[in-house]
Amino acid sequence: MPPETVLKMKSVWRLFSSVKLAIVLFIVLTLASILGTLIPQQRAPAEYQAHYGNLSRLVTGLDLDRLYQSAWFIGLLLLFGLNLVVCSLTRLTPKLRRTCGNTWTAGPGELASLKTRDSFTKRLGLEALIAAARAELGRRRFRVAAKNESGRALLRARKHTLGLFGSDIVHLGVLVILAGGIISGLGKYRSDVSVSEGQTAPVPSRAVSLRLDKFETEYYPAGAVKAWKSTVTVFEGGTPRLTRTISVNHPLSYKGVMFYQSSYGWDWENPSLELQVKKKSDPAFLKTISLKPGGKAALDDGTEITAVRFLPDFVIDADNEPATRTWEPDNPAVLVEGYRKDARVFSGWVFAKYPEFTHFRDAGEMDLAFELTSYQAPQFSVLQAASDPGAPVIWTGCVLLMLGLFFSFYWPPREIKLFLEGREGPSVAVSAGGLASKGRDRFEEEFASIMAVLRRTS
Amino acid sequence: MNESTFFLLAFLTYVLSALVYFGSQLFRKEKWARAGYVLAGAGLAVHSLALAARTIKSGHAPFTNMYESISFLAWASALAYVLMEGKFKIRKTGPYVMLIVVALMAVASSPLMPKEATPLVPALQSYWLWLHVSVTLLGEAFFAVAFVSSLLFLRADAGGRKPKGEEAARAAERYDAMSYRAIAVGFPLFTLGGLVFGMIWAYKAWGSYWSWDPKEVWSLITWLVFALYLHTRIVLGWKGRRAALIAVLGFLAALFTYFGVNYLLTGLHSYA
Repeated sequence: MPPETVLKMKSVWRLFSSVKLAIVLFIVLTLASILGTLIPQQRAPAEYQAHYGNLSRLVTGLDLDRLYQSAWFIGLLLLFGLNLVVCSLTRLTPKLRRTCGNTWTAGPGELASLKTRDSFTKRLGLEALIAAARAELGRRRFRVAAKNESGRALLRARKHTLGLFGSDIVHLGVLVILAGGIISGLGKYRSDVSVSEGQTAPVPSRAVSLRLDKFETEYYPAGAVKAWKSTVTVFEGGTPRLTRTISVNHPLSYKGVMFYQSSYGWDWENPSLELQVKKKSDPAFLKTISLKPGGKAALDDGTEITAVRFLPDFVIDADNEPATRTWEPDNPAVLVEGYRKDARVFSGWVFAKYPEFTHFRDAGEMDLAFELTSYQAPQFSVLQAASDPGAPVIWTGCVLLMLGLFFSFYWPPREIKLFLEGREGPSVAVSAGGLASKGRDRFEEEFASIMAVLRRTS
Repeated sequence: MNESTFFLLAFLTYVLSALVYFGSQLFRKEKWARAGYVLAGAGLAVHSLALAARTIKSGHAPFTNMYESISFLAWASALAYVLMEGKFKIRKTGPYVMLIVVALMAVASSPLMPKEATPLVPALQSYWLWLHVSVTLLGEAFFAVAFVSSLLFLRADAGGRKPKGEEAARAAERYDAMSYRAIAVGFPLFTLGGLVFGMIWAYKAWGSYWSWDPKEVWSLITWLVFALYLHTRIVLGWKGRRAALIAVLGFLAALFTYFGVNYLLTGLHSYA
């Protein structure tokens, strides 16, 4: 490799290992995310045109209308990930060398560089003091390593070593979460399955189908919705595998595919209607006819009644035509027509909730009166089938993230080094030093009480 | 006694605590601060009873509408303060945190907030409601404590630059440390409650752990701001003024996540 290339690669590596880049990325990602909440996302182009005028071309050109899915935002996230990898690796190597390396010394010179220090001379044999130090440090859950040669001993005691790596575990967690996001983006499957009661519907591009055995809406006494429940049977290869009730917050999981209660409705194309017919001329006359839209029923005087059309939530739309406002049965209405010898004799909408609004055209002398007493349609439930291969990766990342946060904030690493020199007498010259990057106040208390114990040893 | 009586009693106790705290600063009576602390604790206890009474009566977690969640945030802030104060003994933040608590209680009791407990909509019927909301709000309460001590830092810091400002400079250092400690508690809680539990619940309820819903995005923004605080502080050694400004921004982001998103932006989180 030519030296210029090496130099260039080194400077790129240096750029990616710098915390400054991380901080710039934190700020840029934050600002971009804010922008995405200020500009409505995933709307029709016309809406941006109406809202932003000439600026709308900028909005769509920079993908600000689908900012979080745009190439540049994902690029920023990847850059962030790369920065995280390089940053962690550069910091990890010296840390690993320090913790796992076996080439340690604790001469008085090295101790002098530590902030927490103590030294004293104790009238005791070297071995007895080593034993006392080991006991006290062990009691405080330090792991102790010792080197002992020709009347001098070095003790190194450590605890909460994982705390040193807390931030690395957090970073690993964030990387795993980013990777999970990529896996979800590439391999996520999502499809709505709409199925009526008693019917079976295939789950698109999966080898299973769903039969809706029952759909019900439960209400609180005051009338608010308490639950939507779909009882479904999963079929695989034509045979029923299991029957479960799915509701919001309680999805069904079958062989890696999750089924969520997503929506519901009525099949108003195919309602069963009940009309009550009365005669003004004959108060005793009462006839109930059951029919479906398009169906016919004859009265005894030869009049044929047809239900032409049913609307669950009748309104007159902008074009002055009857239409339905919603798919909820809030204002059910049926268009009723009467025929005599194939000639239409009357026609009009009958409203279930507002009988007085019924008005017949072409009626002439109208003797009949109608009431829409029942309207039933098969209910259907919309179940969202989804599988997300990224999800388990995300949960793993979350566990790492939380473990890492715990270790970095609440598992402060401590290290104590003791340099013991046996003298005549017998006595021992003790020099001790301690290292703690976080929570130094607490550590100094602990250090002092360990020293006090060693001073008191006999 | 019922919930509203407990709530009113807690409100009054908090007001008393704030007054005594302010009095202690105004008249330089150290002992009064102790009384302020005890009153804050008493208010917290009575407030806990109010929350418990509401939970028993409504049969669900006491944070499903604005009134409930503001009251809970006030409770969490009082709790965060009592814990921090118990550990760090920085009484000077007391009056201001209690002021925030009192303000939250006042907003919660405003006639604009419907107070009747409504039955839970299907989307909220999950034990994740407890975990997600309570842990998130507790995290945000610690951010509130950091916000107060950061503002106090900024004031003391300005004083510390004057000649003879040694005492102010020492106080500033303690506020700075307290901000950091509060964020060290708040950040893991917020990460766990807001992001991790939020993702798990979203996965169970909506079929997708992340939907770039405005509330999710603003939680992420809040998280990024506090991540920025921790990185600049731990790696670059930013302390004091710049750190305090980031902590203030972070709390404002948390506040926007909590209130602003509901009123100014629309999305999946349109419950409370």
